[in-house]
Amino acid sequence: MDKLAEQLRADAAQINSPISPELDARIQASLQGITPEAAAPLPPKRESKSFSSWWISSLTGVAAAVVLIVVVNLQAPEPVPVVSNSTPQPLILPTVEWHARTAVLTSPLEQEMDNLQSDLKKAEEAVKQDIDRLF
Amino acid sequence: MASEVALIEAAKKGSAQAFTDLVSNYRDGLFRFLLTRVTSFADAEDALQDTLINAYRYLHSYDPRWRFSTWLYRIAINNAVRLRTADTEEIGDLRDEESDPLAHCIAASDRENLWQCARRSLNDEVCTAMWLRYVEDMSVNDIAAVLDRSVSWTKVNLLRGRKTLNAEMNNDATDTKSKAYG
Repeated sequence: MDKLAEQLRADAAQINSPISPELDARIQASLQGITPEAAAPLPPKRESKSFSSWWISSLTGVAAAVVLIVVVNLQAPEPVPVVSNSTPQPLILPTVEWHARTAVLTSPLEQEMDNLQSDLKKAEEAVKQDIDRLF
Repeated sequence: MASEVALIEAAKKGSAQAFTDLVSNYRDGLFRFLLTRVTSFADAEDALQDTLINAYRYLHSYDPRWRFSTWLYRIAINNAVRLRTADTEEIGDLRDEESDPLAHCIAASDRENLWQCARRSLNDEVCTAMWLRYVEDMSVNDIAAVLDRSVSWTKVNLLRGRKTLNAEMNNDATDTKSKAYG
């Protein structure tokens, strides 16, 4: 043992500190009032699955898959929406003969305005007549 | 006296007497160790009491692959750290010589006790490692387990602790010689 180790050991022995009877009594009293905790119970072992149960579960899985395939294949196919190639028939509207003349802006604006209003009135009357005639 | 294993088994079943017998060999050493780790004599007493109570209560968690003392010291260190006040994070920070529990337990001598030097100049863990190595004769592996450190960390820090204390010891010897020769 080297000098330092010897010195450390000797100096530790010089620490003179006996445990007092009061402390001893305190510790004893504390220990008497304590119950050591029991070790936590080990988790229960999982039982290994037997060979037969493995087979049963496998066969069940296979059977379920087969049934699913059959059911899917037996189902009637959904009607596929047919896209028609025919073009829509044009809507035939009755032709209306408009008895209106195109306004020609040759006069002053007020005169033009009067002309346009009289043209509009005539056009309205013509439309009314046409409507009466059609229906 | 019954073997340690038998005492442990009996204590696990609730025999306080078996536990008392079990720790009787360790109590004094543990108390001296705690005096180097806490800041007052009362704290050392509290730490010892808490250590023994915790050890008894949680004896089921003791792993017999380790030495019983290793486990006991681990609990003691935890208790000492818990009792340490916020203003004395490191024991070496102690400034008040009056409250130093170690100073009251060491007989007056012409040289300073090396454990007082260790307390002053080494950090907590290194000081603890030195105590466990040179006072408790623990192996490096056991010390590493107690401190929850790697074996290499323990070896390096034991070496550093040795160097520091060797220097302190030599300085002390030089001072003594100087005093002797005036």
